[in-house]
Amino acid sequence: MLTIKDLTARVEEKEILKGINLTINPGEVHAIMGPNGSGKSTLASILAGRSDYEVTGGSVELFGEDLLELEPDERAAEGLFLAFQYPVEIPGVTNTYFLRSAINAIRKYHGLEDMPPKEFMALVKEKAALMELDPAMLSRSVNEGFSGGEKKRNEIFQMAMLNPKLCVLDETDSGLDIDALKVVAKGVNALRGGDRGILVITHYQRLLDYIVPDFVHVLMDGRIVKSGGKELALELEGKGYDFIKDELAAKA
Amino acid sequence: MMATLSASDPLVAEYDQLLPVLTVDGPAGFEEIRAAAIRRYRESGIPTTRDEEFKYTPLHALTESKYRFGYGANLGREDVSGLLLGDLDAITVVFVNGQFAPDLSSTDSLPNGAFIGAFSKATGFEDEIRSALGSIAHFNDRLGSTNDLRFVDLNTAYLGDGTLVFLEKNVAVERPIHIVHVVSASDVAALSFPRNLIVLGENAEAKVVESYVTFAGNGVTIPVTEVRLAASARLEHNRVQNESLASTHIANVFVDQATTSVYTSNNINFGASVSRCDINAYVGGEHCETWLNSANVATGSQIIDNHTRIDHALPNCQSFEVYKSILKDSGVGVFNGKIFVYEDAQKTDAKQTNQAILLSPTATMNTKPQLEIFADDVKCTHGATIGQLREDALFYLRARGIPLSEAQGLLVYAFAAEVLEKITIDEVREKLEAALFEKLGS
Repeated sequence: MLTIKDLTARVEEKEILKGINLTINPGEVHAIMGPNGSGKSTLASILAGRSDYEVTGGSVELFGEDLLELEPDERAAEGLFLAFQYPVEIPGVTNTYFLRSAINAIRKYHGLEDMPPKEFMALVKEKAALMELDPAMLSRSVNEGFSGGEKKRNEIFQMAMLNPKLCVLDETDSGLDIDALKVVAKGVNALRGGDRGILVITHYQRLLDYIVPDFVHVLMDGRIVKSGGKELALELEGKGYDFIKDELAAKA
Repeated sequence: MMATLSASDPLVAEYDQLLPVLTVDGPAGFEEIRAAAIRRYRESGIPTTRDEEFKYTPLHALTESKYRFGYGANLGREDVSGLLLGDLDAITVVFVNGQFAPDLSSTDSLPNGAFIGAFSKATGFEDEIRSALGSIAHFNDRLGSTNDLRFVDLNTAYLGDGTLVFLEKNVAVERPIHIVHVVSASDVAALSFPRNLIVLGENAEAKVVESYVTFAGNGVTIPVTEVRLAASARLEHNRVQNESLASTHIANVFVDQATTSVYTSNNINFGASVSRCDINAYVGGEHCETWLNSANVATGSQIIDNHTRIDHALPNCQSFEVYKSILKDSGVGVFNGKIFVYEDAQKTDAKQTNQAILLSPTATMNTKPQLEIFADDVKCTHGATIGQLREDALFYLRARGIPLSEAQGLLVYAFAAEVLEKITIDEVREKLEAALFEKLGS
């Protein structure tokens, strides 16, 4: 479903991605791990269409379509969802209003009528329960005054509401205590299965204890330098990123 | 300045002929006050942009345009109900071009100890009017000559009929009180001088909506509203200015607060070509709260100018001020917020915020916070931000599938809706939200 080929990108004059190759097939869960500054969040931002980054080469296709040509909202409508590392506070817009706008915008994109209010409220109720969200939060402004854990749960709640085809989780585990981490993982695992693809981006192996990936990739200095199964994450946890650096040095 | 204005000054051209009418319809015993006011006005004339307080308020419409004193017009209930807030379920007092319209008003079934209606019908309340009217605007001269009162003088010179809201001690009126000023003019704009007096006794409570709307043509509207709150009185004062886009509106509001009173102003300005509103609150008791909220939208070439002044004269009071402006096209916003904390006013907690969003490169905001603090144990903060829509918020909305134009609309709406949320009369808030949406969409 997602095919990234030789993707290079920079911020201002700094080259951050130096040739990324990654293919995600329907139903697969991939994890990208890497130390700080390796380019993990840049990759997530480029997939979602943030304009701070300049793509200098390569291609990204979602279901055979050139993703990089699409506006951020079109990408979302095509089924891509980015769970933000730093969810944004939007005073004055309630969570419910925001979600209704998003769902109906995506439906409009596909030529569908607005979701009937009853159906929408039933969906909100079901998914809020899954994410253990206090219903009072739904009438509050988007992320305003939410704790770190509430913000991340709200991201996964939105993901469950929008029912995307490809989920990208950008350091969703950062700033979470173990209880919040479990709730987040429960939400993600509930969305797992079928044809849905999931890309988990993380610094630490901890989240992968709860969201067990099919494939693990190690991103260092703008390239994927090693790929493997879920055991690669455990190996990284035990040995740290240095062992890969040593391996790479030995090969050179 | 002794510029003697000739009778050709359109603001006072017909004054001498009108005086008998004003005297008949207006409250008794104000002859000398009117005479003094017209004398002061004739000595000073109207301000110009060389006057600091009117630096950004071009008033050439007052000297160049065609308008004349309008007094009344034949409007039916259905004419008024089609206007913004025109069909509000409320105790209603309607004035058309400055004249009381009893057929359009409904003030029956008031609780005991309450009078809501026109000065001309306020039999038995003459003393209450006489002791408050005008003296609030001048704060019994406690401010000296630091306020520019030229338009107040002009309004007082034309003192005729007006609206009185009077609640005795412990009287709470739950239904909203709606004071409506409608302009209905032909090709010549209608000049009017609305006057409103709101006096709440000890522990009394009310929610007032004061609205300025246009049925036809344009207006030159120069209102004065005086508010006096006795100890522990609570007033929600919603002021909505939605006059036609070639109108001129210059308003002055004065609030005199006694101990533990709570005054909340929700000041909404969407209309007029030049819209000016000064709110002056004199906090003359301890443990008072003063909330000044305001949402303003200027499109086309509208100029929306707001001045506020809060005098903290006594200790242990709080004031919170949030003024927001949305400026589109070549719209101009002005905010000048003065807060004076007197030497005795220890433990004052004053917070002032002014925010503006500019939606085009040709929109302008002029903002000037002005805090003068003479006490040493106080908490006073102010902040002013002028900017575009937040990129991170726009991206977040778009990343959820909301297209750019819709995301922009949502953020602009949310910015102003934060102020409208302060209005506790649901019907008013919802109608203003719809009006805001419509104004931003156009």
